[in-house]
Amino acid sequence: MLLTSVMVVLREVLEVALLLSVLLAATRLLELRARWFYIALLLGGCFAVIYGENLAKISQAFGGVGQELVNAGISIFIYILLIVVAVLLLVNWHKKHYKLLTMQFVMLLAVTMAIMREGSEIYVYLTSFWLHPPLLPSVMIGALLGAGIGYSLSALFYYLLCGLSQRYTLGISCIFLTILAAGMSLQASQLLIQADLLPAQEPLWDSSRLLEENSIAGQLFYAISGYEATPTPLEVVVYVGSIVIMLGIIAGVYYRISRD
Amino acid sequence: MINLLKAGKGILSSGRITGCLWLLIILLGFPLLNTCTSDTDKPTVKLEIRNHLFNPSEVAIPADTEVKLVIYNRDSSPEEFESYLLNRKKVIMGNSKAVIFIGPLPAGEYPFFGEFHPKTAQGKIIAQ
Amino acid sequence: MKSIRIFLLITLLSIIMLVNFVSALHGYRDTVAEAQRLFDRQLGASARLLADMPVASGAERVVAQPEAMVMQVWSEDKKLLVRSADAPVKPLSEFAVGFKEINFSGYRWRSLTEYFPDNGHWIIVAERSDLRYQLADKLAIAAVLPILLGLPVAGLLIWFVVGRGLSSLRKLAEALHSKRAEDLTPLPECSPPEELLPVVQSINALLTRLQASFERERRFSADAAHELRTPIAAIQVHAHNLESEFKGTGQKLIPASLVKLEDSVHRMAHLVEQMLDLFRTTPEHYPARFEMLNLHALAREVLAEEYPIFAQRKQQVELLGGRVFIRGDRFALTILLKNLLHNAAKYTPVAGRIKVSTTLVKEDILLRVEDSGPGIPEEEYTRIFERFYRIGGDRHQSTVPGCGLGLSIVQHIARLHGAIIELGQSSFGHGLSVTIRFTKVKEDERD
Repeated sequence: MLLTSVMVVLREVLEVALLLSVLLAATRLLELRARWFYIALLLGGCFAVIYGENLAKISQAFGGVGQELVNAGISIFIYILLIVVAVLLLVNWHKKHYKLLTMQFVMLLAVTMAIMREGSEIYVYLTSFWLHPPLLPSVMIGALLGAGIGYSLSALFYYLLCGLSQRYTLGISCIFLTILAAGMSLQASQLLIQADLLPAQEPLWDSSRLLEENSIAGQLFYAISGYEATPTPLEVVVYVGSIVIMLGIIAGVYYRISRD
Repeated sequence: MINLLKAGKGILSSGRITGCLWLLIILLGFPLLNTCTSDTDKPTVKLEIRNHLFNPSEVAIPADTEVKLVIYNRDSSPEEFESYLLNRKKVIMGNSKAVIFIGPLPAGEYPFFGEFHPKTAQGKIIAQ
Repeated sequence: MKSIRIFLLITLLSIIMLVNFVSALHGYRDTVAEAQRLFDRQLGASARLLADMPVASGAERVVAQPEAMVMQVWSEDKKLLVRSADAPVKPLSEFAVGFKEINFSGYRWRSLTEYFPDNGHWIIVAERSDLRYQLADKLAIAAVLPILLGLPVAGLLIWFVVGRGLSSLRKLAEALHSKRAEDLTPLPECSPPEELLPVVQSINALLTRLQASFERERRFSADAAHELRTPIAAIQVHAHNLESEFKGTGQKLIPASLVKLEDSVHRMAHLVEQMLDLFRTTPEHYPARFEMLNLHALAREVLAEEYPIFAQRKQQVELLGGRVFIRGDRFALTILLKNLLHNAAKYTPVAGRIKVSTTLVKEDILLRVEDSGPGIPEEEYTRIFERFYRIGGDRHQSTVPGCGLGLSIVQHIARLHGAIIELGQSSFGHGLSVTIRFTKVKEDERD
């Protein structure tokens, strides 16, 4: 049970923690206060419990695909929020103090949403063993190990981002935000396919031999870029499209700023 | 949300970028169009989770056809249906059912498992 | 990086956690796999044991078996010979030799099928998978738990060790912080760590250069003041002679310019005297000779000496309090008293009142001079100690020459005695009260 527990928790923690470390590095870059971060942790935790408690009801909604719809909605929402964050980050880098409060609010919202989504799964998973004492120690230790690995990776990643020179931090933050955001919209498209709202197709390729989704490295790549060993053509289009749109917006903003 | 979008748009007022945003909205709106096609004609396969076991543990479905998988969780604890080959993942709460659409699949075996009890809850879908 | 300590704690702990947890996972996986192999071997042993069991080839026999294990013995022609109570009558798995995972009676089982050609028996034994895993889990957890429990200890140790490692940095910061603004003596180089040595050395080099330049400036000013003394005295003499000469020629009226000249020269002489006092009383350079003396008596002496100033302005001066003894430098304290009295006289209007008192409050000895002048707004309290600073600039209504060095001199002398200057409202209702608080200091602390 321990390995399973590690995998379940690690996957969810990594997704949120990597997003957090990029956003925190951006906060650091703009010399903002990290107060939003603590509020987001608190709010996200509360919402995760509420969402987890009501997951049964949500699942039954919309003809049994409520879970997919809500999760896809959250993912798309986060995608849009991350675009706004990237744009505001760029603008603030060049022209100080432009809608900084809005930016902090957007980051707070994105992190809260991400924690709510991933946290609810951990909550559902862990509480399901609450009534099964023989497995509980194993599950809890696994959860701690998973959370620890996820936390360590993103803490080191955060310090790596902060340790770079500021120009690189900006560029790499923007790139990572783009990849994370594209991963979000990829997940959304997968969920919508699962709910039969987007057409299902045969996979375009199978890279599971190269990198298994079920390995720690696979989970890491999944958390960073939404790695999918057997994507369908539509998923590939959505993923590439999301990246192109976001990079286009970033490039457009950058062009406009540097022209002014 | 709207305010945020407006805030975003304030910066992105150039025509090309607004066009991109529209494209995004159309892309996101696409699922709604697709809901018109009803799923009543799709074959339904029923599956049961009891005591952290899938029953039946091997499900035969027609190849190259979209199938509606209905999974009943008879346990009191939740389970997560997951398959890497099928790219499906869904939490099924205790004593409830879930609907997952799979396929069309080429003939072959597609293992799936319950993420929360992967040692026992195992099964595979056989498309033929 | 806000704090080196937090940075080191988080990164070190993260690295330790990452390495330990990943290796713990590997250890766990290996332990579980080893346990599974052990269970598989046991299953094989059970099967062989069953094969050696004599079985009557007649009717199907049902035997009791421990829970969580089932077995079947089939004859060559696929007829069930023996089965455990929980086992079904159908074959548990197909007749193919090897291990297999099967589901039946609501559980998942690990089954082993063996064929024994000696007697042509097929033997199928199976164990419940979930129980096997639980057992393996228990074994493996015992190996993983210490790593998890050790982590908080490691965190605590890192916190203290890093704190210890940074302590010399903190000490350096404290040494710098506790340095007085004028104290330019080098930092003690009491064996700082290699990494800090260049910092300490650079700071000390800087301090030495700074001190040298301060010393040059001080000496230049003192020398300049000293050198100015003689010509000014000469001018004073000449001006006086000029005045006498004028009077000698029988002229009644002395030209206004001559009066102004005399006044200016007088002020300049005063300024030079004050400057010399200021440099002379610099605590770092003053050759103090401390002796036990009666502050009250000293105040009376100085008052008597300076009485003409007050008389000239028709001011009423009183000396209150009794004998108080302090260890002090007579010459310096005389300068201090003179300056305080001059200031009081200067700012008190004609026919005003001035009060001087010496009191003993608890352990401290207070010398207080209060005037009945306009007083000073509280926000000016810190500024009036600056050199050449005068409230309202140079245009204050006073006939007594002033240069704005008086309180700086007082401050020097107070510091020389380890005394504190307190400013406040005088008891006349308006006016300034200056209190010099001589705290009782142990002999060895004052060098």
